[in-house]
Amino acid sequence: MSARWAYLLREAVTGLGRNLLMTIAVILSVFVSLTLLGSSILFQDQVDVATDEWYGKIEVSIFLCDGRNCDAITPEQEEQLREELANDPLVREVFYESKGEAYESFKEMFKDQPDFVESVGPEALPASFRVKMEDPREFSAIYDKFKARPGVEEVVDQRETLRPIFAFIEKVRLGALVVAVVQLGAACVLIVNTIRVAAFARREQTAIMKLVGASNWYIRLPFVLEGVFAGLVGALLAWGVLLLAVPLITDSLQQTIQFMPFIGIEEAAAVGPLLLLGGVIIAGLSSLIALRRFLDV
Amino acid sequence: MITLQNVTKTYKGGIVALKDVSVEIGKGEFVFVVGPSGSGKSTLMRLLTREEPPDDGEIWVAGKNLKTLKRWKVPLLRREIGYVFQDFKLLASKTVGENVAFALEVIGKPRQIINKRVPEVLDLVGLSDKHDAYPHELSGGQQQRVSIARAFVNAPRIMLCDEPTGNLDPQTSVGIMKLLDRINRTGATVVMATHDQQIVDSMRRRVIELESGVVVRDQSRGVYGYGG
Repeated sequence: MSARWAYLLREAVTGLGRNLLMTIAVILSVFVSLTLLGSSILFQDQVDVATDEWYGKIEVSIFLCDGRNCDAITPEQEEQLREELANDPLVREVFYESKGEAYESFKEMFKDQPDFVESVGPEALPASFRVKMEDPREFSAIYDKFKARPGVEEVVDQRETLRPIFAFIEKVRLGALVVAVVQLGAACVLIVNTIRVAAFARREQTAIMKLVGASNWYIRLPFVLEGVFAGLVGALLAWGVLLLAVPLITDSLQQTIQFMPFIGIEEAAAVGPLLLLGGVIIAGLSSLIALRRFLDV
Repeated sequence: MITLQNVTKTYKGGIVALKDVSVEIGKGEFVFVVGPSGSGKSTLMRLLTREEPPDDGEIWVAGKNLKTLKRWKVPLLRREIGYVFQDFKLLASKTVGENVAFALEVIGKPRQIINKRVPEVLDLVGLSDKHDAYPHELSGGQQQRVSIARAFVNAPRIMLCDEPTGNLDPQTSVGIMKLLDRINRTGATVVMATHDQQIVDSMRRRVIELESGVVVRDQSRGVYGYGG
């Protein structure tokens, strides 16, 4: 190793050691903020995974009248409706769910709650057309077209039932993001201060370096390396915690909420490079800002 | 080697440190800059190392026009200049050898050159046997020799010495002056700001006298006060 690199590394390491408590504070602060930032990204991943899965499965349901709330649909009306739906350009696929099939899938969905199943008779559930849309966002067009048809009781966008869950996740995600940003700001201030203290502690040496003609980057680099090193360690810790925590949390959630797909260790691993890059950039920039005035020519 | 043309420097609050100063110092000269405290000696030194820019006038050092010198080239200017302080400014945590080597390390000199130059220059200042001593184990005169060694180790063309004997007793000062004289004989231009009348009188070199920022005397083979 050349004298130059040996010098830079030695300076950075002794600088970190000399200021151990401050270094630990910086590492922890970067760690907390990046963990929150990573969590926020993972919440978004979770929403995406669930959305992809559900929007693929979930359809528009057109419930048919069985004579209780409106006049029962006639076989002709039913046949015409099927044909129109099959030829509609907004519709990708349509199939019919009879009363009996509706009851079977209802029993399957609530098999853990037999009392509830008991209370609902096989006749209680209406027959329906299940419609898969080319684009689920075009729901209102389908709704307008078929709502007022004779024999149609209700047109329901099944995605609506998921809205509250997504809204909740979105709120948590935003909360994590806000706290992450505030915490990142705090981390930056802490880094700036730490590097200033380090520069002040070595001001004699720095003054001599300037007078013998050391280049600016040569004077600054040990300080920047110190900051970047602390940022990197903080980011690695954040990544490690997410790698451990995400599978633990989602596995236990999966056992209670079986119908929802969850993110796993792959998604947690994928945020790593971003966290490392973020930690390095934030720490490096903060260090440079700290040195800008202090070490001017 | 050093040229000042109508240089003026005023600090905040209107304190005039240098006023319309024009001086030319040739290659290999030995020049004393004398004058009372606050006469502008230190400002002159700081202008020469481009620690501060002048308000007006032009300065050339080692062939570089300091007015147009790019910021990132300032370190290159300073590699042409060896700077000696009144208070030595040695790093207490480094040995004599390390202090001298430091000046080469931080400008990226390779290890072979450092290993060769450091003993040479310590020999020149007469401290070959103190390579592994720490600054606090040395006398004031020895510390100043180390500081001169550090300034000279990169073979600069100019040595700027700011009151180098200000903290030393007269006898030790004589030794330091002999050393600076020897360095001057190698071809380096030496500019020395000083209060020390005895030294100036005994050396009989060029004297530039400042008073309230104005050059009041520029005399070859001069003495400290008038009447010489």
